[in-house]
Amino acid sequence: MELGLLASIIYLVSGSGEIHGSYAFSWLFAVFFVTTIVLGGCFWTFLHNLSNSGWGTSVRRLMENLGFVFPFMAVFFIPFLFPNVQQYLYEWMTAYREVVGDSANAKEKLLHDSDPHNHLLAAKTFYLNPGFFYARVAFYFIGLGFFIFLVRKFSIAQDTDDNPGTKNLFAARKHSSWSMIIFGVTLTFLALDFVMALDYSWFSTMFGVYVFAGSALNSMAVLILTGIFLQKMGYLKNVVTQEHYHIMGKLCFAFTVFWAYVSFSQFFLIWYANITEETRYFLLRNTENWNLLSLALVFMHFGLPFLALLRSDVKKSSKFMTIFCFYILFMHVLDVYHMVIPERGPSVGLVIDHHPHLWISGSWLGDILALVFVVSAFLFIYLRNLTSAALYPHRDPRILESANLHN
Amino acid sequence: MSTKVRRVYGYLAEFKNASQLYKAAEKVRDAGFKKWDCYTPYPVHGLDDAMGVKRSVLPYFVFFGGLTGFLTAIALAYTTQVGLYPTVVQGKPANIFTTAAFFPVMFELTILFSGFTVLFGLLALIGLPRWNHPIFASKQFKRVTDDKFFIAIEARDAKFSAESTKSLLTEIGGDNIELVEDDSE
Repeated sequence: MELGLLASIIYLVSGSGEIHGSYAFSWLFAVFFVTTIVLGGCFWTFLHNLSNSGWGTSVRRLMENLGFVFPFMAVFFIPFLFPNVQQYLYEWMTAYREVVGDSANAKEKLLHDSDPHNHLLAAKTFYLNPGFFYARVAFYFIGLGFFIFLVRKFSIAQDTDDNPGTKNLFAARKHSSWSMIIFGVTLTFLALDFVMALDYSWFSTMFGVYVFAGSALNSMAVLILTGIFLQKMGYLKNVVTQEHYHIMGKLCFAFTVFWAYVSFSQFFLIWYANITEETRYFLLRNTENWNLLSLALVFMHFGLPFLALLRSDVKKSSKFMTIFCFYILFMHVLDVYHMVIPERGPSVGLVIDHHPHLWISGSWLGDILALVFVVSAFLFIYLRNLTSAALYPHRDPRILESANLHN
Repeated sequence: MSTKVRRVYGYLAEFKNASQLYKAAEKVRDAGFKKWDCYTPYPVHGLDDAMGVKRSVLPYFVFFGGLTGFLTAIALAYTTQVGLYPTVVQGKPANIFTTAAFFPVMFELTILFSGFTVLFGLLALIGLPRWNHPIFASKQFKRVTDDKFFIAIEARDAKFSAESTKSLLTEIGGDNIELVEDDSE
């Protein structure tokens, strides 16, 4: 992990503009991959509280700990706040800075600019302007970061409460309600700001929910893996049974289908309507080898997992689910890669030699490096969270109900 | 007084509450009976385990029902839209790359056929619809929709005998044990 940090710093400090630009995309890919998983942790925590569920009380602390990695993720987003990183990733920022400068009337300036491409930016300038961008980023981490902290705090306070009643439980449920709204806004607009904005001229109303589907699916996979590994090491023995894995497996199955449903809906509407502003995203991803990746996602992110999870006994087998969860997480890596990296060649190419490329040779090394580093940093924070409190809410009124789960 | 011969349906025994019924069901299961059933006013969790009911075969029917729907949709969309009468919409090709346009049809027919298989497979497996059930001949059985729990062991069962089955039901705590006779003509 230290090695990764060191290499990341070296990458950023030294190296040509091409390496800088290429690594900016690697970093975004890795950070966004982990962020989706962590946001999924927030989602399951809030949903569990909000739906007044009893089944998952034994594994609720795992959800809370996964979600609570989110505030720490802010550190990994710091590079995206600097213009010399942004220039490779977000064309709209460069255009905005060049054309508007310090002028107060951004829209007028962009609209009357000689470059006709900026007219579209003028129309979107109410949202795509640096001031609002920084405000939004602050809102994501402070807002959702605070609420996941709060909800987790109620849960942990229960463990040492002298009168373990329903007070903390109800408080967590109450605050989960509007936290869920904050979560929805955060996930959607975080995906829009950091990934969809890579090509600001693209229109899609499905992108937020598409990211959400992958996020919920893969955080559930991480939760299953955590549960299995903790049980292997002798924890959670008395409260988590194969019935819990059955339910979590069912949720994985549901979100596999939901992911396919949403990602296909996004593709289908754009493909059918065939409007220039919308097709850019898929044209790029259907060019040459990217097409193989797109096709691979259809069969390997949906087809195979769908058939594999149909039977109920496989969802109860910890051996099978371990393999499945690693597999689906790998598919999620490819999914996020497919979202972020195809934009790299064109974007970095334009900055370096004013010519869009499809692929920058050797850049995959940076992708792996960034992924390994960010994932290990995530595991470090996640495991620290797990050790900072009891592994399950042992004084929760419904812990017995959850331990005796039958479905 | 009627002198006609009536067919014996089986023994019906009443139980006071769900936990009594649950324990009794385990004993009937262990005694090796196959053709018997529990009747309760509301669903009792885990009763199927206590009765030793095996997993239903319905999911397999549904899988193949869904698969049939999926293949039907492919065949329908492909033969009509590519083979017989290609409809060019928005300049889209009429070949294998048009598959994206067929997905909604494939999806819908998979769901439809699975749904039908669930409904009709379920009805076939549980033997519905039927006009009447012999157990309705029992007067006390009416309370099953209110506050009483029943176990009925059918005379069709190979282990059934007039004396020992009755004594088994008494032994496991059944009250008002009644020999139900089929009163349908």
